[in-house]
Amino acid sequence: MLSRLSRRRVVVLLILTSLLLITLDRRGNNAIIDKARQAFAVVLRPFDVAADAVSKPIANAWYGITHYDDVKDENEALRDQLENQKGAEIEAQTAITKYYELLKLYRLNSVHNYKSVFAQVVGEAPSNFQNTVEITVGTRDGIAVGMPVTDGAGLIGKVTKVYPDRSVVMLITDPQFSVQAQVLSTLDLDAASSTTTTPNTAPSGRSLDSTTSTSTSTTTTTTPPINATTTTTVPGQVDAAASGTTTSSSSTTTSTLPDLTVRRETGVIEGQGSDRPLLFSLIDDTALTNVKVGDRVETAGGADSLAPQSIPIGTITSVTRRLGSRSPIVEVEPNASLTQLNFVSVVLFVPNQAAI
Amino acid sequence: MRSLPFALFTRLIPVTLVFLAIQRTVCANYPVAGVAIQVVLALAAGAGAGAGSERGAFAGFAMGMMYDLGVGTPLGLTALAYGLAGLTSGYVLSITPEPQWWLAAIFVAIGSAVGEMAIPVVKFLTGQEGWLNDRLIVVIPIVAAAATLLSPICVPLGRWCAGAKRRTWRAIPDE
Repeated sequence: MLSRLSRRRVVVLLILTSLLLITLDRRGNNAIIDKARQAFAVVLRPFDVAADAVSKPIANAWYGITHYDDVKDENEALRDQLENQKGAEIEAQTAITKYYELLKLYRLNSVHNYKSVFAQVVGEAPSNFQNTVEITVGTRDGIAVGMPVTDGAGLIGKVTKVYPDRSVVMLITDPQFSVQAQVLSTLDLDAASSTTTTPNTAPSGRSLDSTTSTSTSTTTTTTPPINATTTTTVPGQVDAAASGTTTSSSSTTTSTLPDLTVRRETGVIEGQGSDRPLLFSLIDDTALTNVKVGDRVETAGGADSLAPQSIPIGTITSVTRRLGSRSPIVEVEPNASLTQLNFVSVVLFVPNQAAI
Repeated sequence: MRSLPFALFTRLIPVTLVFLAIQRTVCANYPVAGVAIQVVLALAAGAGAGAGSERGAFAGFAMGMMYDLGVGTPLGLTALAYGLAGLTSGYVLSITPEPQWWLAAIFVAIGSAVGEMAIPVVKFLTGQEGWLNDRLIVVIPIVAAAATLLSPICVPLGRWCAGAKRRTWRAIPDE
């Protein structure tokens, strides 16, 4: 049959067949193609397992030999980092607890209202034109197409294909990825955290009766507009208010935050390919003066959004203005290290069909 | 010479499954300079260089279809790219029916480069923009170089998968 086909006819036949298949596949909801993919995944699985079993020990041994010094240095650096984080973690936990309370109080929708499923990344994209990873959970675990995927640092992507026991996640760097995002910026960050050590002295003439403690050190943070006092309890500390005793402590560290004005600018985050920062397009161009390098970007949420509100995405690394255009180029560095993904979590948030 | 459908089921599919597994595990997890080596593409180009343009195109198309099914890329996209790779590398048999190893290697490299380049082009034409960028300057040479190195394995294996026999010069029979 082939000998009867000229080379030109072969080319035409291939192109037409391919375009037909691409069109059918991209229209979506094609049960035949989906079933074919699932069946092929089952057939391919033993080959994958065998190839992985053979290659992994060799690759690990090679990596161990060639990167031994790097791994050792990295381990030491991580230990130092962990020590430094211990103090900050206590403060952060307190803030998170209060944040949950506020969300509950005002019935706000956030990522914390949704359950999540943990998964392990088992494979990266075999193609050079696809930023995806494969994870170990699928429809059996309640995963559906469109669900946002995060790691400890922030959003890493969304589920694009689901099989019974695995899923494919499109990373946020993929040019086809986009999600509604918001920048939260404060107007006066530099003036924040003026720290003084004043024994038994409350800021702004507030009484310390409720926050006096018997510990050697108490950190009190006061934000005047909110008019609230936060006491961070360190391990081993005794809550004086609870025990009903008021004693004088050796020192009280008070941090007074200035009148913080938080500005929220919304837009859309898009991927630009691997090894490239994300592109942030603001909905309101006039809001540019409020966006600056170092601002944090997180998911905006909303009815048509891919993800619930408040999943961290990254930090603005550059705001470049273009001649002859109002809209600048705002680049965002993702929080998550997308090249070193291991354990991730799929937020069981089913987005609106339009967002997928 | 075996018929292509016979070779497809008994040779091409099992061999491609093995190559696809290597692609999804070894090549995906251990990229070279950030670029994933494309072994299935090298096999498709090898089939073209070993069996000719027409058989190479169909073998590449079948391998690409399996790639699309296994990797999750839009069905037909990689099939078209790999079909073009097989078709392009098969031109070596238009020059000589019995190409030297280095000539076959060059055509495998050209076929791989065409196949790899075709993916972002087809993506662009089907509305998936963002892949035609300067990264191709790094990706294409690395993929082509890897295919060149793999050609001593991929050309005979690709020829076998496509159900073709090695062509040889024949003397004109006497009257």
